[in-house]
Amino acid sequence: MASRYLIAVSIALVVVSLSFAVAYGALGASVPLEGLRSLARAYVTLAYAPWNRTLTVMSPEAVTSIVWDFRGVDTFFETAVLFGAIIGTVTLFRGIKPSARIGEGLSAIARSAAAVTAPMILAVAAAIALHGHLTPGGGFQGGATAAVVALVILVTFSLGYLVSGLSKERALMLRSAGLLGIAAVALIPPILGGIVFQNQAKELSQFSYPAYIGGALTSGSLLFYNLFESLAVAAGLTLTIMLLLSPHEVVEEAVRGEDHERI
Amino acid sequence: MAIDPYLIGRFVGAVIVLVGAFYDLTGSIGMLRFPNFFTRLHAATVGAIGGSVLPMLGVSIYAASEPALGEYRWFMAGASAVAALIILIVAPAGTHVLARAAYRSGTAPKEPCTYDAGKEGGEC
Repeated sequence: MASRYLIAVSIALVVVSLSFAVAYGALGASVPLEGLRSLARAYVTLAYAPWNRTLTVMSPEAVTSIVWDFRGVDTFFETAVLFGAIIGTVTLFRGIKPSARIGEGLSAIARSAAAVTAPMILAVAAAIALHGHLTPGGGFQGGATAAVVALVILVTFSLGYLVSGLSKERALMLRSAGLLGIAAVALIPPILGGIVFQNQAKELSQFSYPAYIGGALTSGSLLFYNLFESLAVAAGLTLTIMLLLSPHEVVEEAVRGEDHERI
Repeated sequence: MAIDPYLIGRFVGAVIVLVGAFYDLTGSIGMLRFPNFFTRLHAATVGAIGGSVLPMLGVSIYAASEPALGEYRWFMAGASAVAALIILIVAPAGTHVLARAAYRSGTAPKEPCTYDAGKEGGEC
């Protein structure tokens, strides 16, 4: 009994002392501007530098600048690996149609709460993805948040309800559209005389995506990359969730059919 | 002497945050003292609604009446109010789902039991 109270009191003490420490700056400044290595210094100082238009990304978010501009090819490869994994899942689950039978789902209270919160989650996902060049977040994070909506609908309503709104083929189409969008944004510069994955104008090539659209900072290609990446990730993760949670009977039937052919 | 309306707002906000701290304390004592899953779930919900929705509304009022924060106080006030609203919708639904699942699967022991609303006549 006494140990229970000891645990409760020590957790409370840790929380209170940590919040005091953070509030009074015991963890130091959030961005270390001293003693940086030269590469890190370049990333931090060039992310948003309108006075240096041939080297900057025009995005105040250093992480997104690194992810989609300084090291854009690296991120494209990561995205391709993720989509390879999703294509592998789709291939393994070929011939399996997620059942369109609409189940009862959870209680009316849970369903109404999900119906109210699902659009809110989508709004947060859109904000994370489309503000990825301004605030922490980005296409992958936004897309993963949007996929939560599919999971919530699947659990509270039923798999059939989700499939009736977003079929396997449509999810595949959206995922491919997102990947094609990323490829298009990366390949438009070389077509127009720039470099692959170019964002802002460089000394060697004058091609530049618009840094401002209608007066709002869009950081050139970063907004488009985040938009398409979120679309592709949301559709891809939803597709994987839909396939992995297919009912046992449906999967078994598809597998049994193949067995019979072999015999 | 004229009373500063901002001062009243800050006072009300701080009092609401303190009331929220009281709910959090009672919720945690209930978490430790209550005998079974369902009663402890009740204590957790006291902590979620009284202990986070209420203080967040208090923070919203406090931030809105603190001119030293400048224009950004409206961002803080709005974000706190919206977060409070979302927790107000989500926390009871989550508790409901947990309680329903535990009751229907029979995995959580009901003893000590005085009234069982899921049974005919409330008999345990």
